[in-house]
Amino acid sequence: MNSPISKCIVTLAALAALGARLAVAAPAAPLKLPEFEALAAKASESVNVSLDASLLGLAASFLDPGDPEEAGAKQLIAGLKGIYVRSYTFDKAVPYPAAEVEALRRQLAAPGWQSLVKVRKEKDHTNADIYISVDQGKANGLAIIVSEPREFTVVNIVGAIDLEKLRRLEGRFGVPKVPLPDGDSSGAAPAPAPARP
Amino acid sequence: MSHQDMNRDDDLGLEQRLRAALRPVDPGAGFAGGVMARIATERPGNVRTFRARAAASWGGFALAASVVVALLLAHQQQMRRTEQGLEARRQLIEALRVTGDKLDLASRMVNAPPPAPNSSDSGA
Repeated sequence: MNSPISKCIVTLAALAALGARLAVAAPAAPLKLPEFEALAAKASESVNVSLDASLLGLAASFLDPGDPEEAGAKQLIAGLKGIYVRSYTFDKAVPYPAAEVEALRRQLAAPGWQSLVKVRKEKDHTNADIYISVDQGKANGLAIIVSEPREFTVVNIVGAIDLEKLRRLEGRFGVPKVPLPDGDSSGAAPAPAPARP
Repeated sequence: MSHQDMNRDDDLGLEQRLRAALRPVDPGAGFAGGVMARIATERPGNVRTFRARAAASWGGFALAASVVVALLLAHQQQMRRTEQGLEARRQLIEALRVTGDKLDLASRMVNAPPPAPNSSDSGA
């Protein structure tokens, strides 16, 4: 199975495994996402998701345990306190929302947040930033900022990502088991490549 | 005797009979007491029975109405809860889809091979 949900699980496992190695105290509060009103007005398609702990629990109760993907998703969100997504798709290229992104980056500069991935593809006009928040060896937050010529996305996942649950997902539900680059056989997924300046 | 005289005698006789029939009659000393006693014994009972029946009838109606309203409210709440749950599930799947897409994009960008050197620069 190679669906976006499976990819999400695999990549979150990788990020969580890396985050587990970065034992730094961190806050677990959700980011204050900007409204992105200008982008929303120009977007041809918008995704605006705000799921707090209670809504996540409600959503989990409606997931089909007989469906492998939904069962995996249910396990994945068990320790989460919130998922917040703002994603905008445009028919033509729009200016980069520099002010809003700067406001986000200021929040992500707080102690506990660490820049995990920072990729700039000038040729494609595509930027990707991934930040992770770690507390006592456990990842308790994730932030993703991706800007493409016709798409802009911000994701904030709040809460403890249970590494054991993620590890148990490996090799099941289509989630591949990938060997660690440093020879660690603990079962954790590999960390992403180091950030680029 | 003329015809008029005969009629007058008949009228007087009728009047006398009526007066005799409708003369006031003393009901007796115990009549008022008996009536009051009967009122005291029967009327409250009748009123109580009527009120009790009315109250029971309204009570039953109110109880049935309350049960129906409670069932409707519970059903409505359950429907609303189901709608919220399905919407939350839809949003969760959408959020995971977007997150997966962007993580995948970031992963591909990180793992993309460096651009091949231009053949004109290779000196070949």
